[in-house]
Amino acid sequence: MPDVMPVAIEINFYVLLVLKILVITGVMLGGLLPVILGELKIGAHMQSRVGPYYAGGRWGWAQPMADGLKFFQKEDLIPTAADRHVYKIAPYLLMVSTLALFVIIPFSPDLIAVDLDLGIFFALAISSLSTLGVLMAGWSSGNKYSLIGGLRAAAQIIAYELPLVLAVIGVVIQAGTLSMVGIVEAQVEMGVPFLIGGQVVGFVVFFIASLAELNRTPFDLPLAESELVMGYLTEYSGFRFAIFFLAEYAGIVAVSAIASTLFLGGYGFWGLDSAVFGPFVLAAKVGILAFLMIWIRWSWPRLREDQLQTLAWKWLIPISLVNIMATSIFKVVF
Amino acid sequence: MSQPLDPMAAAHVSEVAVSVELQTPGMTINIGPQHPSTHGVLRLVAELDGERIVNVEPVIGYMHRGYEKLSEVRTYPQINALVNRIDWVSGFSNEIPFMVAVERLMEIEVPERAQYIRLILTELVRISNHLVFLSSYPLELGASTPLMHALREREHVLELIEGVTGGRFHPNFNRIGGVKPAAGGGSTQKKLAQDLPKGFLAETRAAMDRVFGICDDLDTLVMGNEIFHARTKGVAIVPPDLALEYGVSGPNLRGSGVAFDLRKHENYLPYDKFDFDVAVGENGDCFDRYYVRHEEVRQAARIVNQAIDDIPTGPLQAKVPRVIKVPKGETYVRAENPKGEMGYYVVSDGGRIPYRLKIRSASFSNLSILPWALKGLLVPDIIALLGSLDFVLGDVDR
Amino acid sequence: MRSGISVTTSPPDDSTPAVEASATASATASATAELAARMAELAGADSWSADFGNAKVRVDRARWVEAVTAVRDGAGLAFFSFLSAIDWSNEVAVGEPLDETVEERYEILVRLSSGKTNDSVTLSTDLPKDDARLPTISGVFGGANWHEREAAEMFGIEFEGHPNLNKLYLTDEFEGHPLRKSYPLLSREVKPWPGMVDVEDMPSTENPEADAGGGQQDDSPPPTADRAEGDES
Repeated sequence: MPDVMPVAIEINFYVLLVLKILVITGVMLGGLLPVILGELKIGAHMQSRVGPYYAGGRWGWAQPMADGLKFFQKEDLIPTAADRHVYKIAPYLLMVSTLALFVIIPFSPDLIAVDLDLGIFFALAISSLSTLGVLMAGWSSGNKYSLIGGLRAAAQIIAYELPLVLAVIGVVIQAGTLSMVGIVEAQVEMGVPFLIGGQVVGFVVFFIASLAELNRTPFDLPLAESELVMGYLTEYSGFRFAIFFLAEYAGIVAVSAIASTLFLGGYGFWGLDSAVFGPFVLAAKVGILAFLMIWIRWSWPRLREDQLQTLAWKWLIPISLVNIMATSIFKVVF
Repeated sequence: MSQPLDPMAAAHVSEVAVSVELQTPGMTINIGPQHPSTHGVLRLVAELDGERIVNVEPVIGYMHRGYEKLSEVRTYPQINALVNRIDWVSGFSNEIPFMVAVERLMEIEVPERAQYIRLILTELVRISNHLVFLSSYPLELGASTPLMHALREREHVLELIEGVTGGRFHPNFNRIGGVKPAAGGGSTQKKLAQDLPKGFLAETRAAMDRVFGICDDLDTLVMGNEIFHARTKGVAIVPPDLALEYGVSGPNLRGSGVAFDLRKHENYLPYDKFDFDVAVGENGDCFDRYYVRHEEVRQAARIVNQAIDDIPTGPLQAKVPRVIKVPKGETYVRAENPKGEMGYYVVSDGGRIPYRLKIRSASFSNLSILPWALKGLLVPDIIALLGSLDFVLGDVDR
Repeated sequence: MRSGISVTTSPPDDSTPAVEASATASATASATAELAARMAELAGADSWSADFGNAKVRVDRARWVEAVTAVRDGAGLAFFSFLSAIDWSNEVAVGEPLDETVEERYEILVRLSSGKTNDSVTLSTDLPKDDARLPTISGVFGGANWHEREAAEMFGIEFEGHPNLNKLYLTDEFEGHPLRKSYPLLSREVKPWPGMVDVEDMPSTENPEADAGGGQQDDSPPPTADRAEGDES
């Protein structure tokens, strides 16, 4: 893999910027399409079905692309009662907050778009923009069902932000730095590039909270199909719906990547040279976590929102606080 | 009946009292008539306060087809073809109480073989109906996988029904005095060997094995799931005396703790020859209603296994005149249909057509409990309750 | 077995009539008659009958609510099965008219049964057609609420004291009461019975018993009486 950082001093900053944007988008799409296909195929086989079978041969690999094309060529409808400007902006806001997460994911010690000192802090901050996007979508649709869905989603995301952040704090204390590369290096240094220092509890809390942030089952009440049609997405169709759809799966990839970076050792693996194998190791870990999310989605029913809130406030937050305390004590004493 | 029933007893009341009275005007939403979860065209006009329901009014009648009026212009055999469309998921069992009522008025004794075949088909239809419920209910709560597995097994049961009757849902297989005799002209005595399809016994046993298998699978996949418990336990409790007062019947009544099964008390089919248990719930919440139906599938499969082992030989239909004239009189016959108690009140004037046919359908009474049961619940609980009552709009509206 | 859920294996209890032999049919009939007599006494009834296994008790209209309450409380028949009506008319717009002349009236039926045994009884009362009013029993049985609404819109009976006698099945603009005998079946007026086929007689028609079961294909058109001259309100 070419060494990007030393060369950057000589390449024009703006050219490099454009290059990075293109690469990030490429990575996002490249990660996203297999996840969508995996969701369809794996979900189908878990349900004793076949799944996509025609688009792209027996494996249906062209199905996500076919779906994308289908969405793009649909009529652009905006309901009469909708607030036009807010309605148009909402999907892009959601997409931006997800896309920005890819900026701080390290694919190898040198392959990262921007190695911020505040890596993970930036990620957590920018991902909370999604609340705004969801609320805008729900409110601007001009539909009571969408409004209920949007409010539910906002309440859910806000509630689960806290456990998400608190779970990460344990990792940060152990690694001693907020920078993503720094966290991975700390894990590799420990010799055990998995579950840095035993942050098992943190990992579980982070995983559950991220399922809620992404509005995946068992936390997909805002999208509860059997109750509110599609919740806050009811009035979206065509291209705008495709953006939401992509944002959801991009979110899965991004969040899995962050989780594997923080807890599973990122691009590091025993005995493998990070600079060479890093991206592949990370891809494998992302794949495992994405599979876990897909598996859970197809197996379990969804929680009611008061049960969801109870889980966040009464269980996850206290547990993660205890985790922080234990981590700090451990770090100081040993 | 002695103490007044408290409507808020079933509500999920928050422990923290709100000290400030917020002026939040309630919202009225329409759920349905086109909606993925309302089992047909049912419209609920719900007044909400946030997520909590203040009042619900069901609006029905979208599927009213006027069965009772239509019955006044049809002869009895023609009505038979009509009535299996009342509850279309368990088609065959709708015909049974009607046939028994007519046979009672005509004082015909149905041959044993026909009774056994009727019983086997009724139990197969019960299994089919409950499998639909057991799998579509988790779907409404968000779990989409049990549906696929259960419907796969249900196909085997439907194939059995089709093999015997020629139809999966609306077989029109009952005749006054028995069941449809084998094809071809001539005396029915000669056609004994042909009435049940070849290999019926072996296929039925294999299908019942699969049914037991899917029951075990659903046990693990659905009833063992913590989230399913959280969504259904303690939700929408229906007290037993209220259930009796509103005429709630079938698995809904048994889920509320009333151990009453018409198969043990009425003699419309020879159930007393078979050994089976009656599942009874304890609390009357959605989980108990699910549990009762889950057990009923096992018991129905048990009955079928016992029944196919000793189907007696004999004619398939009693001797009846070519033109059916039912003597003057009135009678009411009720049966344990998969959805509850279904009954027909037949008023005959001695002619070929009934003077009045009143159809007592299970889902109508089951649904009438909705305004009471939904007060104070949250919006997702509407879906949980509607699903657990297992009604079909055709049965409600007739 | 889940905790708290029970599965009963109890055999049917004593009041269940036995099934197979016709010798016990008479036992069934006498059990029904005894039930009907008991209910008649509780309800202060005018008469009772127990034909064809239907224990029917006829009550005077003035005693309607008390009779229903007495049967529920005195005999424990707390299960509300249904409430409906029969329109006894001599001239009918659909179907066949009655053989004998009857007194024109509406007969209200209520079926109550027990949640423990198979006791089940029909209570009935007569209403004159020009004064079709009856006190509601929705205070006694909550389930009567919907059934009375249905009877009200189908027959035009007014239930006094009912909390909301709105239409249940029919649209709000609907005029007329469909289940009355004077209300015609509109599709039959518009076009003839679609099942009318030219059928040749089967060879063995002179002996209708011989071809048992083969002849329930009834293709003959069901009768439509001449439309009654009266209006259908």
